Amino acid sequence: MSTAIELKRVSRRYRSATALQDVSLRLEKDAIHGLLGRNGAGKTTLMSIATAQDWPSSGEVRILGQRPHENEQVLPKICFVREEQRYVDDALAKHAFSAAAQAFPRWDAELAAQLAREFRVPEKTRIKKMSRGQRSAVGVIIGIASRAEVTFFDEPYMGLDAVARQLFYDRLLEDYASHPRTVVISSHLIDEIAHLIENVVVIDQGQILLQEPVEQLRDRAVTLVGRADAVAEIAGTREVLHHEAMGRIVRTTMLGALDDSERQALIERDVEIVPVSLQQLIVRLTAREDASNQTTLNPSQEVAR
Amino acid sequence: MSNVAVESMAAPAAQEQAATRSSLSRIPAAFKLQFTVPSQMIWVPLVVFFGAWGIAIGIGAWIRHVAGDGDIINTGASQATIWCLAFIAAYSASHTFPFSMALSYSRRVFVLGAFLAFATVSAGFGALFSIAILVERATDGFWAESYAFDLPFVTQNAGVLGAGILAGAVCLAAMMFGFFWSILYRRVSLVVLWVIVLALVALMAVTVMVLTQNDWWPHVWDWLAVQSSYSFAGWVLLLTLALTALNYLVIRRAVPTA
Repeated sequence: MSTAIELKRVSRRYRSATALQDVSLRLEKDAIHGLLGRNGAGKTTLMSIATAQDWPSSGEVRILGQRPHENEQVLPKICFVREEQRYVDDALAKHAFSAAAQAFPRWDAELAAQLAREFRVPEKTRIKKMSRGQRSAVGVIIGIASRAEVTFFDEPYMGLDAVARQLFYDRLLEDYASHPRTVVISSHLIDEIAHLIENVVVIDQGQILLQEPVEQLRDRAVTLVGRADAVAEIAGTREVLHHEAMGRIVRTTMLGALDDSERQALIERDVEIVPVSLQQLIVRLTAREDASNQTTLNPSQEVAR
Repeated sequence: MSNVAVESMAAPAAQEQAATRSSLSRIPAAFKLQFTVPSQMIWVPLVVFFGAWGIAIGIGAWIRHVAGDGDIINTGASQATIWCLAFIAAYSASHTFPFSMALSYSRRVFVLGAFLAFATVSAGFGALFSIAILVERATDGFWAESYAFDLPFVTQNAGVLGAGILAGAVCLAAMMFGFFWSILYRRVSLVVLWVIVLALVALMAVTVMVLTQNDWWPHVWDWLAVQSSYSFAGWVLLLTLALTALNYLVIRRAVPTA
């Protein structure tokens, strides 16, 4: 599979802060990628630089093999509507869609109209007077209907209610299935977009903590629930990401897959395997990276605590 | 840490060669972007043009009614549209520019589209200015000898056409000037912006002082006296082109969120 987005040793420094530090990243074409991280982690800066809305202090960016800054060969293939996007003053949604139709070669006006109906975007309300959710819907519609080869969504759910969020996920997947393209969604509602994304990029404090296919990431850890001694025995020397004790019963999330003999031992010792949620796993892995002294806990000590 | 090892930039030759579109092909779209909301560039300036003119006519008629026959009344109402368009151009930098980034226009294409749109609107203003002069002449200043457009210092050297061209040129310069300050505000901090303002004021003060100290003002007046509306419009357009280039240099590193 070819590469859609590539950053090589990209840093972005402001006077008082470093937003990105030595970031190298390669995202495959025609896949949905989740860019996950806490507020201020550097997600928006990364997307701004990838789309040439901002520029790196050092390092190199390539989109579809080309440098995007001031490059009209590749820019029409990119769409990035910001979380708090500004529109032409006094614009209605139809004005924004009409401008997008002029800008994006693969714009689908019919799809935009259908999405506007489904998201209940008001026709006669100026965008600046719309609710946060309605404004987000306008951005989401532009992102989907643009059918840009590389589309970025920056926390697109802001202000959207549960129904509208689900609608976004459904319509994005539908359109992606019929018109495959590279999509990057930044979010901190990890579990909500977990079913959407094929690849996870976790960013924290301007650095990439991990980049992995979702399935591979899920296989990296298991959560065991059972008696403390039994869980400790099965965990062995594996790295414990999280541990909770409720009397004699413990719930331990640890790195590493289980082999067949260990799975048999689970049954014998009445220890249950609980699926690790992507959000839990990423939170734990992020916390681990944050910790200055990474230590592999001795499970027996952990259980005894 | 960065656990993603990137050995080399993936730049397949096929991808490099795939794009064949002209780098200027989206300028018409960037031009139309400025007219996305018709009220901004068309209806509001028209309302201001005829509104200010109407007010000036009313004031002129009132003065003539109160004071009776006397000196010709010249007003500055024709400037109102120029100021209005300068502010609208500033809006374009503050609001339309961030949206143009979401639409993935390059800054170069956005500035060229904006320049062409401003030039079109300015040409329209120049044409209306000339028509307004003809109307004022035909009606003797609306039967009150009150003039907002047929001003001697604008028309005396080049007539109606020259006045319209000069008005259009001044309008375009004002729009690029409004655009410049707005985009500069986006690019630099408030402190730096005011330092630049003060530096320009200081530069102007020094220029005035040098002219005064060397007794060069008569030369300046002589130079101005030989200028026609056409030549003056030419100088203004030169200034405007320089401003447009400056605008691109400033916007080239402007960020839409700032």
